[in-house]
Amino acid sequence: MALVTIAMGRLSQTFLLLLVMSLIGFIGVHSVGNPVFNIVNIETATAEDIRRATIALGLDQPVWRQYLLFIGNVVTGNFGTSYIYHLPAFGLVMSKLPATLELACIAMLVAAPSGIALGLLAGRRNRTFLDRTILKASVFALSVPSFWLSMMLILFGAILTGWFPSGGRGSTASMLGQEWSFLTWNGLWHLILPALALAIPNIALIARLARSGTIEVEQLDFTRFCRAKGLSPHRILFRHTLPNISVPIVTIIGLQFGGMLAFAVVVESIFAWPGVGKLLIDSIQLLDRPVVMATLTFISVAFVALNALVDLFYAVLDPRVRLSA
Amino acid sequence: MKAEIIRVLRRPPFGQALTLSKVVLAAYVLLALAAPAIAPQNPYDPLQIYGWEASSPPGTVGSGGFIYLLGTDGLGRDIVSSILYGLRISLFVSITSATVAALIGLTAGVSAAYFGKWVDVAIMRLVDLQLSLPTILIALIAIVTLGPGIDRIILALIIAQWATYARVVRGIALSETGKSYMDAAKLMRLPTSRIIFRHLLPNSIASAVTLIPIEIGHAVALEATLSFLGLGVPMDKPSLGSTVANGFQYLLTGQYWISLFPGLALFGLIASINLVGEDVRRRLDPRSRSI
Repeated sequence: MALVTIAMGRLSQTFLLLLVMSLIGFIGVHSVGNPVFNIVNIETATAEDIRRATIALGLDQPVWRQYLLFIGNVVTGNFGTSYIYHLPAFGLVMSKLPATLELACIAMLVAAPSGIALGLLAGRRNRTFLDRTILKASVFALSVPSFWLSMMLILFGAILTGWFPSGGRGSTASMLGQEWSFLTWNGLWHLILPALALAIPNIALIARLARSGTIEVEQLDFTRFCRAKGLSPHRILFRHTLPNISVPIVTIIGLQFGGMLAFAVVVESIFAWPGVGKLLIDSIQLLDRPVVMATLTFISVAFVALNALVDLFYAVLDPRVRLSA
Repeated sequence: MKAEIIRVLRRPPFGQALTLSKVVLAAYVLLALAAPAIAPQNPYDPLQIYGWEASSPPGTVGSGGFIYLLGTDGLGRDIVSSILYGLRISLFVSITSATVAALIGLTAGVSAAYFGKWVDVAIMRLVDLQLSLPTILIALIAIVTLGPGIDRIILALIIAQWATYARVVRGIALSETGKSYMDAAKLMRLPTSRIIFRHLLPNSIASAVTLIPIEIGHAVALEATLSFLGLGVPMDKPSLGSTVANGFQYLLTGQYWISLFPGLALFGLIASINLVGEDVRRRLDPRSRSI
């Protein structure tokens, strides 16, 4: 029970901080320049246009009243109406969420097992050719900018070979009132390249973590004892080493899942995957402010909540960890 | 002792890959510095660009009297020249932002450790929040708030990166504040700013400074990503990232060279900075060796 209290305390502190940051950001935007010029075209707008836009956007009110209005709207999930789609901004974000979620889930389902397998392998064969190859490959995989990786996957996986489609979501099937791509063969086919683009850096990250964990654990007394007892290397690896390196790996999987929501911005806009990330970039380019605000707020809050969850899970998984508020 | 240090310094932890990456990185820096002298074309000068030669494949002989070794982009700009000039912008933006972010982060971290109490809580909670969010997300939020432009993107990268330095330096500064030289400085009634900047800071920065090369690598990747999304540097002065972005629409019609070669250059730059950066850190900061 104490755990829940601590988690709630920490979560509320974080939201307080988000509030302060939004206030700083709010004042920052107003001190940099009149935000109305982000909306109207400076070159063609007349003084009358600017005055009308200022009133329509509520920018004629004092800053503190604008901020209170903004916070009130955020709390109730009311970010206003999209300038482009003429739909409620928050509802629009929610309607794009299933596409992003399934992409991130599939990518993690690929990344976690293969990353752990490579890491265990490299750690077991520490300082061999195989280990060094995996380590070097991971440095390169973490250096590839994700947008270029996506483009090269399109070039080699779609354009030159024609194996996979170069973009789009393919056909979907409906489940729980939402449309999902992974339920149809065609949709799954469309998922492979973008999921790989999200998975490759994570495979490298998880592999490095699993490798250093394995090397550390294999030097400990209990592993030596297991070996002395005559257990097979296989059994030691899966029953003793793996559980002992699982805590940091679970943590990184949780955190990277959130990171995928952020990196989906890049991957989705390249693969024309109609998710939250593509919505964000499209809205930025179309100056659709309500949707931009709704998307960024949603991703930040989701990430903070995910972090708190990972912290909690960490404590459950490893009794040595003591949380403090 | 000295021989031992030299031996350790000469031992390459990553073997040939590291030696190679140092050479590659040095070459990148030289190429960026010498770009106006060695580039066959000035991609910012419309008079040197021939629009009818747009999207020429590699090896085409151009009207300017030189061969387009890597082809031209959709506007007729030579890819080799675009890479060389883009390199300058990418390196300028990332080095500037990583350095300023380090200055701000160091000051914030040392102040948090020295003043303690609510200053510490305020600064470190902000740092914790920032570090728990992906840097790309923070950079995105910052650039959306600030608007486009080279100065804005540098500012956005600083906002995204200062927290890392603050976290590292605060931990070390905290252990330094308890040492007797700090007590001596306080007993001598030195001004607070002098204690912080002349005594505490120099003794706490070693670990954080070794982060700078790695953070420059991150900044290159971040800037390229933002520029790729159309939120970074303006289109008339493209960085490596926006050069790759320019080629994206042509990729789908098979004109691969416009995005392939600038992307390779970018990848090589980030990989070599990362390799050299990790090596610098490993050598100068024993604490990071366990990782």
